Amino acid sequence: MSLLLFDALLCLLLLALALASMLSRQLTHAVILYVAFGLLMALAWARLAAPDLALAEAAIGAGLTGALCFTALARQGAPAAALKLSWQQRLWPALFVLLMLTGLLQALLQVPASAGPIPEMVMLNLADSGVTHPVTAVLLNFRSWDTLLELLVLLLALLGTLQIAPVPTQQTSWRLSRSWSELLAPLIILLAGYVLWAGASQPGGAFQAGALLAAGAVVLKLNQQLSWLGWQNIWIRLVVVAGLAVFSLVAVLAWLLPVPGVNVVWLRWPPDYAKYIILLIEVFATLSIALTLTLLVVSEQPATQLSLARENETGAGND
Amino acid sequence: MIIVLLLVPLLSALLMLLWPRIAPLLALLSAAVSSLFAAKLLLQVNEQGTLQWLLAGWPTGLAISWQADSLSCLLILLCSILQLLVGFYAFATRARDQLSQGFWPLSTLLQLSLTVLWLSRDLFNLYVCLELLGLVAVALVSLSGGKAFKPALNYLLLSLFGSLCYLLGVVLLYAVYGLLDIKGLAQAWQADWLSSCALLLMSLGLMLKAALWPLHAWLPAAHAAAPAPVSALLSALVVKGPLFILCLLWLQLASVQQAQLVAPLFAGAGLAALLFGGWSALRTPFIKNLVAYSTVAQLGYATLALGLMLKFDQPLIFAALWLFVLAHALAKAACFLAVGEMSATLGGKRLTIVKGASQTMPLAMFAFAVAGGSLIGLPPSGGFVAKWALLQGLWLQGELLLWPLALVLATLLSAAYVFRVVVVAFDRADPVAPDFAPQLLPQWLALLPALAVWAMAMFSEPLLLLLRLEA
Amino acid sequence: MTELSATFIVFAFTAASLIAIGFYSFITGPEPLRRILALNIISAGIFMLMVVLAYRGYDDTAVSVGDPVLQALVLTGLVVAVSATAFALAMLARLEQQKPEQQKPEQNRVAKSQISRPEQ
Repeated sequence: MSLLLFDALLCLLLLALALASMLSRQLTHAVILYVAFGLLMALAWARLAAPDLALAEAAIGAGLTGALCFTALARQGAPAAALKLSWQQRLWPALFVLLMLTGLLQALLQVPASAGPIPEMVMLNLADSGVTHPVTAVLLNFRSWDTLLELLVLLLALLGTLQIAPVPTQQTSWRLSRSWSELLAPLIILLAGYVLWAGASQPGGAFQAGALLAAGAVVLKLNQQLSWLGWQNIWIRLVVVAGLAVFSLVAVLAWLLPVPGVNVVWLRWPPDYAKYIILLIEVFATLSIALTLTLLVVSEQPATQLSLARENETGAGND
Repeated sequence: MIIVLLLVPLLSALLMLLWPRIAPLLALLSAAVSSLFAAKLLLQVNEQGTLQWLLAGWPTGLAISWQADSLSCLLILLCSILQLLVGFYAFATRARDQLSQGFWPLSTLLQLSLTVLWLSRDLFNLYVCLELLGLVAVALVSLSGGKAFKPALNYLLLSLFGSLCYLLGVVLLYAVYGLLDIKGLAQAWQADWLSSCALLLMSLGLMLKAALWPLHAWLPAAHAAAPAPVSALLSALVVKGPLFILCLLWLQLASVQQAQLVAPLFAGAGLAALLFGGWSALRTPFIKNLVAYSTVAQLGYATLALGLMLKFDQPLIFAALWLFVLAHALAKAACFLAVGEMSATLGGKRLTIVKGASQTMPLAMFAFAVAGGSLIGLPPSGGFVAKWALLQGLWLQGELLLWPLALVLATLLSAAYVFRVVVVAFDRADPVAPDFAPQLLPQWLALLPALAVWAMAMFSEPLLLLLRLEA
Repeated sequence: MTELSATFIVFAFTAASLIAIGFYSFITGPEPLRRILALNIISAGIFMLMVVLAYRGYDDTAVSVGDPVLQALVLTGLVVAVSATAFALAMLARLEQQKPEQQKPEQNRVAKSQISRPEQ
């Protein structure tokens, strides 16, 4: 009973925060409330027996999205006067949303109380997947094609961001924050390594580790301590595409060099080597994810061939 | 074979990022290789029948499934050929139009994301493909800088909203059936409240992304703001991705009752798109917007055909749907390239710039007129074949009055907006002088797909046969 | 058929309400930043629904965590969502930087006519 009370309280808080974030007058408040919402969401997922996701949500959902929103806020000039909506502009969306909500609630009540056949199938085949943690097995073996495409989505977001990134705003950092970040960096690298390694058997894995690394790198970069970290640097580019490149090359190798007794299918890892293959992919994916996320957060207009020329200085960024 | 079709664009896009200098060359090379392999795949599927894969060799349900039927193969081939053509156009005009280097990897990734979308038969994998497609499309639109950002941001937000609606539907379906594979779902399907809810949500999202009426408002601004080769790719290919998924959902998953219920809605939306899109194309003062509104109208044909297919379940109508898509893709690529060429050479965005273009740039104008002929549906073009198949399907069902009449009205409207341009172009009294000597090669490249769409009529028999089998 | 547990209902209804809040705010909210946040709230709601669906039957089967497939899908979805958000925010920032440049000539009477013409 007390657990149910906790659940209800958590849900009420989540709803209140989301509502407050959406209805608040100032965008700054909206962002702060959203970050709080994300952290509580992580708590809710930990409560729902999904520690992997709680970790990812805290790092990506609340942390990185929050950092991104704050960067956007900082770049935004003086807030424009809030537009007042007429009641018709509110009424029709409200009616539509209410209709949708009732339909959705009605539908949710019809959901069967037990899960489908797939979780059992995962458990049955887990032994052949090369890892013991089921979520990692799904991500990098059963549905690895999704993961490959997802890395591509991440890369695309980076490409899009780089070509439109706004002019960097010069900021100076505090000395205290600089020394703190120097202290923090090795710790974060260590922690990320642990999370990555743990992913094989416990909650953790490439995405969480990548997000952690990215968080560390963002702090350092914002304190102007990683001047080499930019798209112009060929090594950075190499690491960013390494995740995808290694993933697809390993897949090609597994496809071209069949192990006797195993029929050849795209993305099939031979069971004996699956563990090492997955670890290899994860290491490079982690590095790629970390760098991509970092570059996404601290996106500055680099003088590369990717970036679009500005209207007033045509050609300067487009050599 | 299929792996090559995926790996070549992927790896060449990655290489392009590392060595931007060779990007155009790599992009053209990868498009050429993919076209070859896509043609081979189409032949193979034609001989051996539909190919299916369970990725990573896991059992059904656990693995992501792929399917290459003749429709998918045809679309893959279309994609890579248009990619090659537009790539050549972009290469020929790159210095003049100051096309950003970013175009090359992005367009190659566009081809990749469409290819994976045509293949996938897994609902969640389709969601990832949709997101991929949306992001590439927006990144491509934003290539033209400055004024494009506003429509691009709007496009991005709506596209994300659409994908989330789709995802919510997928989650609801997974909650009940515990399956993501379309084939498995179709077997377990029950026509109840929940599945209808999920289908409606997914359709809402997909219609938004495919710019089907009444959710099309973002399309003209976004497509008109993009650089010419990008507009050609977007109008010809990108909006067809969500349409493909929509067809998969309603034709393979939905039960007969659900399909019957929703059929008049789709048909009505298609009709409204035809009338509204045609009317807006008649009124806009900008030539690129005219072509973009014509995309809205032409998508109306596809929606109409989908609605009628759901109602009558007649293979001929299904074939008509995809013939419309193919003919429109070729014709629209030609239109956008021709218009882009004229706008760049004659300098301006308004319709009035093409005044006297039949004299100053006869090739580009010819390309536009020929492609326009297919948009109207003049025989013997691809557009005509599609329309004829649709009418024939209706005739077989004994529908002789209402729908054929609507088709005639829509045809008149599209004729009106195409002739609106042609009439101005033939006004030779005081032609707009070109800013520089018109380049011949890009104009020929614009003409190629226009000629191809008329050549489609010659292959109408095998095409119809191929597509009817898939229904 | 077993009954749905109270926990499931509480969390699932919260998720549905979050989605509804996000939908409303996305459709009405005029500021782009708030619409981006609204999209994030919708996706958080959907992911929460997925997590609670994965939790279903957690107590009574031998499965040690919730449905791993759904959890993996949520991870994929999270990364996709954050990439899209980052892209949208970068574009928004660039738009905001353009604004001052466009507003300045507006005070200038001569240039005003050029600005007010619809730019397509």
